[in-house]
Amino acid sequence: MTTITIHINEKEYQVAPGKTILEVCRENDIEILTMCHLKGIMDVGACRLCLVEIEGVNRLLSACTTKVGANMIIRTDTERIKRYQRITTELFFAERNHVCSVCVANGKCELQQLGYKVGLDHIRYPFLYPQCEVDSSHPWYVMDHNRCIMCTRCVRVCNEVEGAHNWDVMNRGYQVRVISDFNTPWGESITCTSCGKCLHACPTGAIWPKAIVQGQLNKKPEIIEELMEKRAMKL
Amino acid sequence: MQKKKIATVWLGGCSGCHMSLLDIDERILDLVKLADIVKCPIVDGKELPEVDITLVEGSVTSDEHEREILHIRKQSKFVVALGDCAVMTNVTGMRNYFHLQDVIDTAYVNAISNDREGQLPDHPALLRLNDKVVPLQEVIKVDFVIPGCPPSADVIFYVLNEFLNDRVPDLSDVKKLRYG
Ligand code: SF4
Ligand code: SF4
Ligand code: SF4
Ligand code: FES
Repeated sequence: MTTITIHINEKEYQVAPGKTILEVCRENDIEILTMCHLKGIMDVGACRLCLVEIEGVNRLLSACTTKVGANMIIRTDTERIKRYQRITTELFFAERNHVCSVCVANGKCELQQLGYKVGLDHIRYPFLYPQCEVDSSHPWYVMDHNRCIMCTRCVRVCNEVEGAHNWDVMNRGYQVRVISDFNTPWGESITCTSCGKCLHACPTGAIWPKAIVQGQLNKKPEIIEELMEKRAMKL
Repeated sequence: MQKKKIATVWLGGCSGCHMSLLDIDERILDLVKLADIVKCPIVDGKELPEVDITLVEGSVTSDEHEREILHIRKQSKFVVALGDCAVMTNVTGMRNYFHLQDVIDTAYVNAISNDREGQLPDHPALLRLNDKVVPLQEVIKVDFVIPGCPPSADVIFYVLNEFLNDRVPDLSDVKKLRYG
């Protein structure tokens, strides 16, 4: 097998071409923070948490969507990257309404975990306090836009894995929203099969099952990858 | 070593942070060896004297809180925002999604439990709610924050003990940092 040589944080690696920087880092236990990345679905580079520095490239690039190239010199741990990660995390919290103490995902939330990892003890930006809808029209699940960070994992899972394409994205900037069908209540969707995959893919308390209360949430985002692997084996 | 002075204050919060403070139990004896607790809402309501550390629970929700927090800043060498409400408004900030008048009407007039007899409270001695609830750091410079709803007694004790022994506490350890 042909390999290429790259450097990550001053160490040399021989890797197969065609992989993303994120894949190579994960294989070699180099920590990269991610939020919109989910194994089993396509990467879109939405959250900007996985940024890395590449020598000769002025701007930071997302590790999940950038492929390794021969002789790339990559850094994942600079102060500049850490500063951006902290800012990004703070903006997730400031943009919508995260009230962890009354959230179904409290203690089981990827956004909280991210906050702890970047050492976020307070948010330096003013909170926007937007009025966000809570769509509880689906018989089993709730979509709470207050807690959505627009990672679009639900959108991609529903589209790529379930093939239903119930979810999509509407508007831009702070008004951006995940929508069901053509912005109609989830419970009236003619595409949703009620499979629950979006719920498991969602990293926060934005999508949750009605049957549970705080402390009982048990999301399994890894089932998406398992499912895709099993499908691939049958082919 | 001269004994330090600690105060604790309760602004727009539910008192849960103070309950958590009480949960440090007998460890309070270690703290009072190093400091006097000179003001605390559980004890009395006198003016805040000059102190070394003030722990402030709750967010700033009214004209009275605003005056209080500015006074606290003047009197304290070190201000600690205690709990999610003080740090990021938390539950108290949930009214910020609505117009203040709608919130007040809902609570005092339109709530079913008012039996259609509800009246808006209007005594001059009462505080006036601000349009928006804000965390402490939007009004004053905060020196240290302890998030959590409530923060655990262990973390509160840890922070106080560090400060009283002239060390700077570090919450970046994942086990100490917590929201909700
Ligand atoms: S989704 Fe996560 S960060 Fe947001 S309120 Fe819920 S527990 Fe907190
Ligand atoms: S339950 Fe399944 S089909 Fe329905 S929106 Fe979620 S992923 Fe799509
Ligand atoms: S609902 Fe959940 S999965 Fe979908 S975009 Fe929002 S945070 Fe991501
Ligand atoms: S994980 Fe790469 S941009 Fe979100």
